[in-house]
Amino acid sequence: MLKLMLATSAIALALAAPARADFWSDAGAKLQGVTIRGVSESTPPSNYVRDVLAPQFTEKTGIKVEFETTSWDQMFDKAIKDMEANSGIYDFVYIEQDIIYSYLARDFLVDLTQLMQDKPELAAPEFKVEEFTTFIDNFRGEDGHIFGVPMEAFIKVYLYRKDLFEDPAHKDAFKAKYGYDLAPATTFDQWRDNAEYFANLSQDDELWGTTVQASSGHPAAFYEFFESIAPTYGVYDWGIDAAKGAATVEKGGRMNSPEAKEALRFWVGLLDFAPPEATASTWDEVASTFAAGRAAQGWVYGENAAWVATNPEKSTVVGKVGVAMPPMAEGVMEAAEKGEGYVGYYDGGAFGIPHSSKNKEAALLWLQFIGQPSVQADWAVAGSRVVHQATFDDPKVKEVDAKADGYFTMMKDKGHLFKGAPAFPFHAQVREAVAPFIYEAIVGSLTPEDALDQAAAAAEAELAKLGYGAN
Amino acid sequence: MRNTTTGWLLIAPTLFILFVTGMLPFLYVLAVGFFDWNTFAQNPDPQFSGVNNFRALVFDAAFLKSLWLTLKFTLFVLVSQLVIGFFLAKMLLRDMPLKGLFRTIHTLPLMIAPIAVGATWRLMTVPGLGPIPHWMQQWFDVNYILSRFPDQAFATVVVMDIWHWTPLVTLTLMAGLSNLPDEPLEQARIDGASEWRIFWDITLPFLKPVVLTTVFIRLMDALRTVDEVWMLTGGGPGAETRFIGLHIWRVVFPKTDYGYGSAMSLITLYLTIVMCWLLYVAMTGMKEKTR
Repeated sequence: MLKLMLATSAIALALAAPARADFWSDAGAKLQGVTIRGVSESTPPSNYVRDVLAPQFTEKTGIKVEFETTSWDQMFDKAIKDMEANSGIYDFVYIEQDIIYSYLARDFLVDLTQLMQDKPELAAPEFKVEEFTTFIDNFRGEDGHIFGVPMEAFIKVYLYRKDLFEDPAHKDAFKAKYGYDLAPATTFDQWRDNAEYFANLSQDDELWGTTVQASSGHPAAFYEFFESIAPTYGVYDWGIDAAKGAATVEKGGRMNSPEAKEALRFWVGLLDFAPPEATASTWDEVASTFAAGRAAQGWVYGENAAWVATNPEKSTVVGKVGVAMPPMAEGVMEAAEKGEGYVGYYDGGAFGIPHSSKNKEAALLWLQFIGQPSVQADWAVAGSRVVHQATFDDPKVKEVDAKADGYFTMMKDKGHLFKGAPAFPFHAQVREAVAPFIYEAIVGSLTPEDALDQAAAAAEAELAKLGYGAN
Repeated sequence: MRNTTTGWLLIAPTLFILFVTGMLPFLYVLAVGFFDWNTFAQNPDPQFSGVNNFRALVFDAAFLKSLWLTLKFTLFVLVSQLVIGFFLAKMLLRDMPLKGLFRTIHTLPLMIAPIAVGATWRLMTVPGLGPIPHWMQQWFDVNYILSRFPDQAFATVVVMDIWHWTPLVTLTLMAGLSNLPDEPLEQARIDGASEWRIFWDITLPFLKPVVLTTVFIRLMDALRTVDEVWMLTGGGPGAETRFIGLHIWRVVFPKTDYGYGSAMSLITLYLTIVMCWLLYVAMTGMKEKTR
């Protein structure tokens, strides 16, 4: 009888007690109804956050997420102004790898490691910094604390049209014209020949030889040249020696070095074989051009690789995409393997909490939510981004990897050969000083040689004005 | 005395709002113009630099080019809009079928936000997507690529502005034309004056206040054009459509060079005032002369 009474009481208690909540609902209990606001660039990974992860987080925690995805320029503009003015509009902002050094120099961001130590009840057990790829190191302060949770990371790869490059008729015609086999380029001359061959096939077939991210009025052109092309010629860190405040060869920089000039000459020369939209193309348009089947090859941001290769609703080249390492000058690969150089651009970004945020605790939960292992694989499939080491081995990711000609495998195996932007606190300021000369080279009003001579001088003047280096 | 006090009290809210939204920001920009202030500099605090920012502007090729482009753009659009606007106003005042419909259609561009106008024109001019490059190639064998050819970009920006703002000029001139007194015109016709003579000696002097007002409005608008051009060309190719408003935006926002950008803004404001004053003197001087 006693046993029966105890059992009945236990069942009654179990029924009367609230269902056992998980960490997210427990941690979010005190923050129910809070709304956090964020801003990011409209990219496949960010759109996945807005459409999938934010609603999931709200459902689990009761914290609402208002997430604004906008253009790249507007995103930075809004985030920086909010942090400068201390207005507290945003509770989390996108921090691109290249801007983190400027933000840290201004103490714009909340130390997440410290915040988790101060609020252990808000530290999610699933969130482990050591599970991230080394990309998270870009978002560490001097003491090793993290200031951003990586949400996207990718390499800028060489995409080419496998169907065209493997077509026997093209192979024969190419060999007859150039005297060697048609293949994905491993040298700059080969890239040019490939581009010329496909661009000259027919004027009516809407196929050009190469994409070029050469918008003549947008910093995207600056980035493609200095972060993807110049490094393959052995010109690293924009050709700037930050310690000396030097960009010109005379003062110890390499922005106007012979290698840089050769690189710019090559890159601008590709416009002869690029589709007409090339001079208006940023990273988005380059991906769209390739996906529309308008180019035979190109440097394409990896965040677009998966959808270009696998999504038939958005891409006309599904099943036809090849992925390869970009061509590079002699000695560049060896330098990259020794850690003395790099072969291309490793881009990505994190979400961080501005110091001006009025909802830091809710934002901390949110950042951990997007940083937990369980959300990574689907996100990688949707946005070709990988920030956790284990994501590479997820079956869903492996399936896409096979369809995308091994993009994720390349990122895993060769990612260490690529590098993000240099750790410059003056990133945007020097970019704005230099970019106009790259635009002038694109439209032909300056020769590549003059453009880089003037760009290097302008960069040095800007560095001196900002007080950096020994100038 | 009581009336004066009541008057001041009545306009006090307006004066207060004007002071807060107009004068205070102006005074702030004026002060910042005398500082070297970039928040991403080694020293992010404002440093007093006297008139250095203003002195540097005189030798800043990018600023001077931007200023020159803006003046060229303003001249082109002002003259074009006045001429086209006048003819359209004359035409739309005539009795003709569907006059109301034409007037409405003609006014539609005015209702569109400049940023949307820029976006629409961008879509129309993107190679491979927009109809304009296609037609230019098909009909005139012109390789039309805004982002590559500076002349095409400048011309397109001018045409876009004319398309957007001519209706405003037309409307104001229509108002002016419909209020012209009939007698002098009839007398001139009876005396056998030519249409050109009537226009030059009677219509234009009577229209002068309307024209002056319209020109002032359009001049100031054209000098501060930003959003349409930013959307269409981004200031490119190169810096060939980077008008002064866009140039200041790039210096102040992406480059965060607040002191120098403020100095640019002040010089631009000063030039705008000078130009308006010169125009006013020229046109009122002409009026005196015609008397």
